[in-house]
Order: sequence, then structure tokens, then C-alpha cells
Amino acid sequence: MSETQSSAAKSTLLQLSSSDAYQRWRLLKDKIVAQAVVIGGLSIILAIVLIFFYLLYVVFPLLLSSHAESVSSYDAPEPAMGSTVFLSMEEQNEIGVRFTDTGKAVFFAVADGQVNRIVDLPIPEGVRITSYAHGSVDKGIIVYGLSDGRVLVVRHEYKLSYPESKRLITPTISYPFGTEPTVIDNSGQALSKVTVKVGDKNTSFLAKTADSRLVFVTLGKKESMFDDEVTWERTDAVLDMTAGDVDFMLLDKEFRNLYLASRTGDLTVVDVTDKSEPVIKHKINVMKQGGEITSMEFLNGDISVLIGDSRGELAQWTIVRDKQNHYSVQKLRSFKVSDAPIITINPEQRRKGMLAVDANGEMGIYNTTAERELIKEKVADSKPVAVTLSPRANAFLMQTEDGKIQHWKVENEHPEVSWSSLWQKVWYESYPEPDYVWQSSAASNDFEPKMSLTPLVFGTLKASFYAMIVAIPLALFGAIYTGYFMAPSMRQYVKPGIEIMGALPTVILGFLAGLWLAPFVEVHLTGIFALLMFVPLGVMIFAYVWQYAPNAVRNNIPEGWDVIVLVPVIIFSGWFAFELSPVVDEYCFGGDLRTWMRTEFGIGYDQRNTLVVGLAMGFAVIPMVFSIAEDAIFSVPKHLTTGSLALGATPWQTLAKVVILTASPGIFSAVMIGLGRAVGETMIVLMATGNTPVMDISIFQGLRTLSANIAVEMPEAEVNSTHYRVLFLAALVLFMFTFIVNSLAELVRQNLRQKYSSL
Amino acid sequence: MTTEARKTHAIDINALNRADKSGRDKFDTCISVQDLNLFYGSKQALHKVSMEMPRKKVTAYIGPSGCGKSTLLRCINRMNDLVDGVTIQGKLLLDGEDIYDKNINVAALRRRVGMVFQKPNPFPKSIYENVAYGLRIQGINDRRVLDEIVEKSLRGAALWDEAKDRLNDNALGMSGGQQQRLVIARAIAIEPEVILLDEPASALDPISTLKIEELIDELKEKYTIVIVTHNMQQAARVSDYTAFMYMGELIEFGETSELFTNPSKKQTEDYITGRYG
Repeated sequence: MSETQSSAAKSTLLQLSSSDAYQRWRLLKDKIVAQAVVIGGLSIILAIVLIFFYLLYVVFPLLLSSHAESVSSYDAPEPAMGSTVFLSMEEQNEIGVRFTDTGKAVFFAVADGQVNRIVDLPIPEGVRITSYAHGSVDKGIIVYGLSDGRVLVVRHEYKLSYPESKRLITPTISYPFGTEPTVIDNSGQALSKVTVKVGDKNTSFLAKTADSRLVFVTLGKKESMFDDEVTWERTDAVLDMTAGDVDFMLLDKEFRNLYLASRTGDLTVVDVTDKSEPVIKHKINVMKQGGEITSMEFLNGDISVLIGDSRGELAQWTIVRDKQNHYSVQKLRSFKVSDAPIITINPEQRRKGMLAVDANGEMGIYNTTAERELIKEKVADSKPVAVTLSPRANAFLMQTEDGKIQHWKVENEHPEVSWSSLWQKVWYESYPEPDYVWQSSAASNDFEPKMSLTPLVFGTLKASFYAMIVAIPLALFGAIYTGYFMAPSMRQYVKPGIEIMGALPTVILGFLAGLWLAPFVEVHLTGIFALLMFVPLGVMIFAYVWQYAPNAVRNNIPEGWDVIVLVPVIIFSGWFAFELSPVVDEYCFGGDLRTWMRTEFGIGYDQRNTLVVGLAMGFAVIPMVFSIAEDAIFSVPKHLTTGSLALGATPWQTLAKVVILTASPGIFSAVMIGLGRAVGETMIVLMATGNTPVMDISIFQGLRTLSANIAVEMPEAEVNSTHYRVLFLAALVLFMFTFIVNSLAELVRQNLRQKYSSL
Repeated sequence: MTTEARKTHAIDINALNRADKSGRDKFDTCISVQDLNLFYGSKQALHKVSMEMPRKKVTAYIGPSGCGKSTLLRCINRMNDLVDGVTIQGKLLLDGEDIYDKNINVAALRRRVGMVFQKPNPFPKSIYENVAYGLRIQGINDRRVLDEIVEKSLRGAALWDEAKDRLNDNALGMSGGQQQRLVIARAIAIEPEVILLDEPASALDPISTLKIEELIDELKEKYTIVIVTHNMQQAARVSDYTAFMYMGELIEFGETSELFTNPSKKQTEDYITGRYG
């Protein structure tokens, strides 16, 4: 009976523990946990891959090539109304206009050439049109020079309205100076060349008369304070130069410089700051290699002139001020369209780019900053007569000799970006020489975006370099002392204490660095350097004296706690350094180290500088490097250190030859993770660097890092603009950089760890 | 109660000393321990230990776990200094010189007294560099000298034939027994006078153990050897003299053959006959 009972009890126990349900539940739990771990790990990898691909997705359009495609082609509308002298189109690419040599403006639909409106310009009876030019393209100004020495200024405008919720564009013609032509040449000579610039206040005309004078007339606007009456104040001047060989004339929108060029290549720059007394500033032949100028236009912004020549070359010339404040006219760069003469140059109205067409019908679209040929295509079989690029540079119209008008679409979103504009020196307008510059935006529309990532990468590396210089010695020596020499009873306070430093939000560190440390360092600069000298010196002197201290004092300090006696030494030598610094300043640097550096060595000092960043970011990096390195050193097996000591090695030899060697994977990864942290750190550099994207190795200059740049500019970047995508590119560069650093670190670490794995 | 124990203990020591005195001219003393007390903090681990160890002989310490035999061994090369809160009283003479004198150079002492631990502890370096380590520490970097000593030491540790073709391989790739012999080679490379072996074979398989024992037999021609073991057969096999320790006290010390066949103390007899321990 009892036997059966016990066997029954046994079987229930067995049943309980080995019941199928329980076994299945155990296995299920095991599987669930295993799956959860796998899913967790994979989702982290997936998230990183997705971030990478998202960055790539935003950046990718920068890499797409531009292209142009023909949309339609039709006969020029109203061919009877004369041949086209100007083509133009409005912003929506719906209405085009051709101005004819007979003084007609024919508006037509861009899509099919259907006539929309014809305007007869008020050319007086018996007067012929002898010359024509566009004033500012973006303002729609056209000027006709007449045979009686007068000019007619015409503006074509487009009014948008939405009757029945449909967009309707109504072209109009207006006359800023009235329908009555304005007298330019008082002697009534025919104007064989004319140019105009219409500004908000001033309007200047330059005309070449039939008897070869260059007449420069400026009309200053005077608005009456009491009513809307407008009066014009006229200033007349005649240029003191032979006009016979002036074939191209341009006046910049600042009304400062006149650019006059002859076919043979003589470019003359006339300073017209004083409207009544133009002064010739520069004379240069731009066609020294042969060939003739065939067209000349301003690049957007009116700072550079684009000169097209008979050999198919398109060159950008500008006035450059060198370091000695001398001005000279210099060629910044050139493009080659083909071998045929360039007929027209059409600058883009919102970017530093242009479209050029040559006599063979080869069309090229270029960007000057990126020094890039974006599109090159043969667009016509017969010789082009007139070309216009739409205000948004996404379409162009071209009339050819056979009377056809072609409508092309242009896909050219990000012409400003090229390998050279991102990474190499670029000769920007108004810069004395090619340089690395990051300046992504400005107040004006015709500003040249300078998007060189080099200063940002430089700033990133510079900031991390100085941070590492501060952090690595302190963190590693601290880790070595704590992990190898320090008494465990002390270590249990020191290690968490330093790790808590790492919990400090970097925004607070940045805030302190920018608002407290930066001004402090500025005032106590000598003290900071004295500190670097006196603290190690003080420690060494104290260590020497300590040897001879009475045993009673020395034995009072438990082994591994000896560092505690250094605390007052460090505090005292720090205090001493700061106390001494005014004296040092007074006797060695004439009162102020910063002034002394500037006058003696020309080293400038920014309040927010790399020294401050190095200190603050070093402070931020220390806990992480310290913690990882200390773990590595502390976990070196005791039997290795005792083995070394038992062989007669001193503790220092043991440390250098066994401990550091064995802990090297951990120490290496500590340094690399610290570097990764410093490279990606944002808040501290944002607040303490001054964010000046300069490339200067001086420790007293500010900088801008990739990360801070993204933080500063991303909120103001227009979504999907080139600027926006370049910021994403910066993020991608940062991501790749940290990814490569960390991967390399991991590889090296794996390798080292394998070497020491059987410990 | 404790005082009483102390008293009996003191008597024992005196008796021992007398026994030693009688046999002193039998051997040439290398290490002399005199009234050594050792405290871990306030806990006493060694109680007035006094003994003399002969030159170029093997002395074995036996006793149950925690009896203080390893502690005593570690006193000989001052490895106990590395333990927090250790205080040592008494004298320990090596060739008549007190190694606990404050003017002693500990690193130089440890060069004279080599040590092999229970667990093989080669450095994560090549076999060659492991053996050369002690020499490099002493500032010997001449390649020819190193080559010569490395070969001699590896031969001395009966490892040369196995290791000569892989001198530049990482020592951690060797088997446990090989590693232990490498550690011995490393110890003899710096030509110590004394080699301390702290349970050198306890982590090894029987064949490796046998090799180590044979090696000890060869080494005693040149070195004074002190070995801690809790394997009594091993003590009987390899040692010339044996010390039995119990609860931090030296109970009995004498020639191995004598101690194992005719122990003079009941505690010793109980231990070697396996009644406790």
C-alpha cells in the first residue's frame, strides 16, 4: 500500500515537472526571449540603415544630372511684324513675348505660339529704331535707341488674376518714363548702341551716338513730399574715350561700374560713382589668345561679366581686390561651348548660372560657382537669333534664323553643387583668391551661395582634436590610476563620481562654456596657461618632497589613498597660477597676453574659441573614455599582474608591459568612442565655438562643426532646396565619418580581443 | 581558552626548535623563518611560524585548505604585500638577510625568489617574449643573450622540443601543462635562487602533473624549491622535507620520509592518514 502511494507521489511529481504543457511553456518562453532579442537587435540595425538611406534619399537629387527636352516648335507669331530683337517669357512659362525691330511687342502662348496680344510701341513718326538693349532682365525693361537721339523705355509686365478659379496671366506694357521718348543725346544724333539700368531711385543710360560719342545720362528720381509728383534730376556726362570700337556696354545695378568692350577684346571699366565725372579704372584685353568677343552679359548680381567669344569660349571676368587693396580685372573661370562663336548669353535670374547658345546651335547651361557644365545639347540646326531663359530657369525659348521658335524645358534643380564647390577651393566673386568658404545664405537674392564643406569638416576635426587633447591624457591617466593603483575603498567613490559627470546634459556644459568659461578664459588667459605649467610642476615637486616626509606622516595615508594628498596641492598650484598671472602679464606681456599676441605675432583672439571648446568638450568626453578604459584596466586578470610582479618587475613595469597591453582593446575602444562622441557633439560646439566657419588652425579662433552647422541652419533652409540637401549631405558625411571611425575601432578591437581572448 | 592554545603552541615550537637544532648541521639553511606572525586586518593567519628550509632541496608545505601554507609561501617573496591590510611581524631571512627589512628592494628580492602559481599565467605575448620578460625587465635587451637564455630556460623546463618551432606564437595557444612549464621556464630564466611553487599541478591533467613533478626533480639540482600542495602523494613523491601546517600554525616539520612514515604529532598523523582535511 505504502509502496503504491510513494510511486503515485513520485509520478505526480514527475507529471508536474515533465508535463507536456510545462515543457512546452518552458520552450516557448525560451523562444520568445530569443526572438525578442533578435528583433531588438535587428530593429536597431534597421533603424540605422533607414537613417542612412533617408539621408541618401534627400541627398540623391544633388547627384542627378540635369537635362533639357524640347517641348514644342512653331513658327514665330506674326512674322510680318519684323524680326525679333528680344525674346522673353514670364515666370509661369505661359506667355512669351517677342520685341521686333519695328517696335512691336508680340505676346504669345509659349506652348503653341498662338498670339495673345500685340502692342504697338509709341515710336514717333519718322523716327527709326537704331539700337536696342534690355535693361535689367528681371525687371522686364527694354530700351530702344532712336535715330533722333532719344530712347524709349518699355517694361513688360504680367498680371495674375483668377477669374473662375483659373489662373489668367495678362501681359501689359508700361512706360516708366512715359510714352514720349526721353532725350539722351542733346545734339539729336542717332543712337547706335544703348544700354540702360533702372533702379529704385536712379536710372542711367549709356548711348553711343552716330558720331561716336559715349553719352552717359542719369535721371535721379525726386518725389515731392506733399504730393505724388515725381520730378527727375538729370546728370549728363560724356565719356572721355573713343567710342568707335565699343560694341558691348553694361552698367551694373549699383550704378558704380560701366563695362565697355570692343569686338577685339578691349575691356574698359569706367567708374561712374560720380555720375557727372566718369573715370576710367581698368583697361585690359581679354582676348589675348585670339578670337573676338561675340557677346557680353552680367552674371546675376552684376558683379561679374560673362564674355562669349568667337572660339566658343565663355569666360567669367570680375574685378578682384587683392590683399594690398589693388583692384584688377581677372578671369575667374571659363567654359567651352563648342568651336563656334557664342551668340547669346542668358544669365539665370536667381542663381549664378547661365545659358549660352553658339552659332552652330549648341546650347550649354553652366554654373559658375560649381564650375560645372550642366547641360550641353545641340538644340538647333540653323543659326539662333534670340534666346530667352525663363525667370525660374526651367525653360527657354529660342528663335532661329528660319523663323521657328523652339520651346524647351530644363530640368536643373541643383546646379550649385559639384565636387569642387563642396570640397575644393573656389574663386568666388569679390574674393581675392580661391578659398574654402561656407556661407549659405544672405539677405540678397543674387548672392552667391558658398557651400564648401571643407571648413566644416576642418572645424569638426579641429574641435574634436583639441577636445581629445584635453580628454585623453586626463581620462586615461585617471583610468590607469583608478583601475590599477587606487585602493578599492576609494575607487568605489571615484568611479561613479566621474561617471556622473557624464550624465550632465551637454546643453548645460555648452551654456556654461559659452557664458561662463569663455569670458573667464578671456580674462584669465595667462592664468590658464600658467595652470598647465604649475599644476604638473607642483605635483612633481610635491612628489619629490613627499619621499623625504617623516614616516609618521607617510604611513598615515593608507596605500592607494595617496592621491588624496594631491588634492590640496593641485588646488594650491591652480590658485597660485591664477594669482601669479597678473604679475606675469605685467612683466612679460606688457599687461595683456591677448594684445601682446596680436601685436607680436598677429594672432587674433576670439572670445568663443577652440581652447574653450577643447576644455568644455574634453570635460564632456572624459567620463565616457575614463569609464570604458578603467573597466578594461581593472578587469586585467590579477594573476597576470602578480605573475609579472613575482618576476621582479616593478609596479610601473608591470603596468606598462602587461596591464596596458592586456587592456589595450578596451583602451583603444574608449579613445575611439570618445572621438566619435566629440565628432558628433552638437550643443557644446554650438554654444561655445562662435560658429564661425573659418579655416584657421589657431587655438584662439572659433570654428563651426558639421553638427552645429546642421543645427543652426536646418530650421531656416527651404525644404528641398540645394541648401537643405547640402545640409543633409553634411549629416551624411558626419554619419559616414562616425560610422567609419566606429567600425574601424570595432575591427581593431575584435582583432586585439581575439589575441587576448583566452585570458 | 585561546591563551591556553597559545601556550601549548609555544611549547610545540620550542620542541621543534630543539629538534631543528639537533639536525641543523644536516643541511645548509637557505630560508629561515623566525617567529613569523601575519595578520589580515585583525585576523591572524600565521601564528609564530619558525622553520628553516634547506638549500637545493625541495620543501613541501602540506595541510588542509586555509591552513596558511600559501600565505607562508607568499611571505618568502613578499607577495603578501599586495594584499590590502596585511601586517607581518617576525623575521624571514634569505641567506641570512631579513627580507622584511625596510631597506630591501622588493623587486630585486622577487628576482631572486621566483614563483609559479596554481593557475598558469603566461602573458598575452609570444612564447619567446614570455620567457624573455624577466630579462627585459632587468634591462637585458641584447638579442643574442636573450636567444641563448630563452633556449636554456625552455630546455630547463623541458619545453624546448615542443616550443622551438613556435617561439613567436602567442603563449595563450599552448595547453595548460605547456603553459605551466612555460611559466616555470619564465621563472628560471632570471636565474633565481629559490623557486616557490604554489600548487603548480592542481589545475593540470595527470600526464602534465607527472611532467611537472619530473621537472621539479631536475630543478632541485640548481634551485631551492618550496612547494605548496594539498596532494600528499605529490608531496611524498617530490619533496625532501615536509612541513605540516594547521590553522596557521606549523605543526610539524621534518624529512619527508620521516614525517610520512613516523609523524611525531597526532594532528599530522590524522591528516596524512586522511582523517580530516
